[in-house]
Amino acid sequence: MIDPYYLQQLAIGLSLGMTYALMAIGFTLIFGVLNVVNFAHGEVYTVGAFAGLVLISALAPPMMAVLFIALAAGAAAGFTLERLAFKPFRRFTDEASLKSRAMRESTLLSSLAVSIIVREGLEIAFGSHMQSPPVQYLINTPVRVGSVVLATGDFIIFGVSAAMLIGLQYLLTRTRVGLSIRAVSNNPLGAKYVGIDTDRTIIMTFVVGSMMGAAAGILTALYYGAIFPAMGFVPGIKAFVAMVMGGLSSIPGAVICALILGVSESMATAFLSSGWADMVAYGFLILTLIFFPSGLFGAGRERV
Amino acid sequence: MSASDRKTGGLLVPIAIALLVFAVLPAGLAAFDRGYFYQVANVAMIFVLLSASMHLVTGVAGLLHLGHAAFYGVGAYTAALLTTKLGLGFTWTLPLSGLVAALVAFLVALPTMRLVSIYFAVATLAIGQMLYLVMLNWVDFTKGPNGIIVTKGLELFGFSLSGRLASYYTIAVVVMLCIVAISRLSHSYYGNALRSIREDDQCADAMGVRTIRLKMEAFTLSAFFAGIAGALWAHMTGYISPGDFKFSESILILAMVVVGGLGSLPGAVIGALLLILLPEGLRGMGDFRNIMVGLVMFLSILFLPKGLLGEVSALRLVRQQLGAAWRRTDNGIGIGWR
Repeated sequence: MIDPYYLQQLAIGLSLGMTYALMAIGFTLIFGVLNVVNFAHGEVYTVGAFAGLVLISALAPPMMAVLFIALAAGAAAGFTLERLAFKPFRRFTDEASLKSRAMRESTLLSSLAVSIIVREGLEIAFGSHMQSPPVQYLINTPVRVGSVVLATGDFIIFGVSAAMLIGLQYLLTRTRVGLSIRAVSNNPLGAKYVGIDTDRTIIMTFVVGSMMGAAAGILTALYYGAIFPAMGFVPGIKAFVAMVMGGLSSIPGAVICALILGVSESMATAFLSSGWADMVAYGFLILTLIFFPSGLFGAGRERV
Repeated sequence: MSASDRKTGGLLVPIAIALLVFAVLPAGLAAFDRGYFYQVANVAMIFVLLSASMHLVTGVAGLLHLGHAAFYGVGAYTAALLTTKLGLGFTWTLPLSGLVAALVAFLVALPTMRLVSIYFAVATLAIGQMLYLVMLNWVDFTKGPNGIIVTKGLELFGFSLSGRLASYYTIAVVVMLCIVAISRLSHSYYGNALRSIREDDQCADAMGVRTIRLKMEAFTLSAFFAGIAGALWAHMTGYISPGDFKFSESILILAMVVVGGLGSLPGAVIGALLLILLPEGLRGMGDFRNIMVGLVMFLSILFLPKGLLGEVSALRLVRQQLGAAWRRTDNGIGIGWR
């Protein structure tokens, strides 16, 4: 018989992993189409949480409305981010400059700069201290399942994330938008030649990816009851680790690695203090980079 | 213009900079005699050194380094722990901090140096965060979030240099020596070899440049200088805590190099001065200081992709005005780095 404590940690880890997975998908989608890393993705998560908080304190709407407003805020954030930090650096569209180091690094730095601006802006607007949504919105009511005590949030996060993953799968395989996203990430120049509007597709990718990130933000915020401007940094890094472990462009890989990461982290808190538990993710990242440079699930895409 | 004219022209700018740093600025500081101005000048110089060391690894060698502040922190913690646990003074902690930071960087570089571009950036980010977590969580050794009070100020062989002007001069001398060393590293055949790796490492490899070894050397050297900066910081402020060495500090240093111009040492110095002095000048704006860092970085990437003083113009400036290492024929034509 397994100690119920570990079962509980496993369940918490799965729901934690699901939020990482939502974040990691945003990273993966954007890396797929543009071949660049979006360092402002963590701020999208924060923006989602703050949009939810503002709506809750202004209107006290039902739960579903909060989720939808977070999604909308995420979509708007993704759109603005793409226009501000990525579009200006896509002046040249030939394949050589799309893959060039200079272009990647300038967008990497510009997204970093935008993330600083957003975080500091939120700090000015809301203060850097932790804010808590009203108690009736928190999703951490304990639920007893057999010998294990879980929170409602564990189920809600797992359910919403699973629904969003299924929705994403539908979007990517059954709709025109999704097909064009896949086409552009497969071969940007080829997609352009067959008449796909790459610019529009890139915007759509940012919108979809950022919606996932914002949903993760509001769900985690309601689960832990803590909203603050720097909240996106750590999940952003974890999601990034999951993406690299999963092989940079593989969505199933990123999801599986995010779950592995979430579970191993919550298991680690059984043995370590929570401060050291963050080491697990960084350790995984370094080990993956050294021993599986193309990721656990990635096809060998280019030299690392 | 004859060769002798060029020779004097080549000394004019270094002499002017030396005068500014060692005579004009201290005179101005002494005239105002406010502790705050000394503090700002010292912090600016330490960040000039950090930015210059980042310039070596990110600008010249082209390795995007997102964990530089952690090596700075390793240096600062080495100095602080050597002082509090072993009672060593600044004379010994200064070189030892540099060496310990370099050693840590060397160990880190062994497995990660074969990674390229974004993978390397991510690895340095993770390593920077791991070092930060160690500083934050190993409470028995580093005192964790409480930080360490560094009991000894600046001194040299027991001779105290912790007065306002004396500490300014100490930091200025150390920083200037390091800048000269970094300048000789980046403006020489050695620097050119690093630049060739940055432009195309496979091509450089094929032409006989030992890419991995050179990258490791650049990474280690840059950590050495960051460690020196850390020791200066620890002894100058007298108190260090993990918050001084977190990810946002790495980004601040990176922003300095980017704003100044990747690959340009004068640019890195200017960028550091700008990003330290501008927020200090805007202190009246209160909370908006940190946003300025982001805005300056964003606008400079957008409108000045080469930086304030781009690499090409910086190299021309260095060759013509600071060109102690730039060899010329008798009729004044430059023929290469010495």
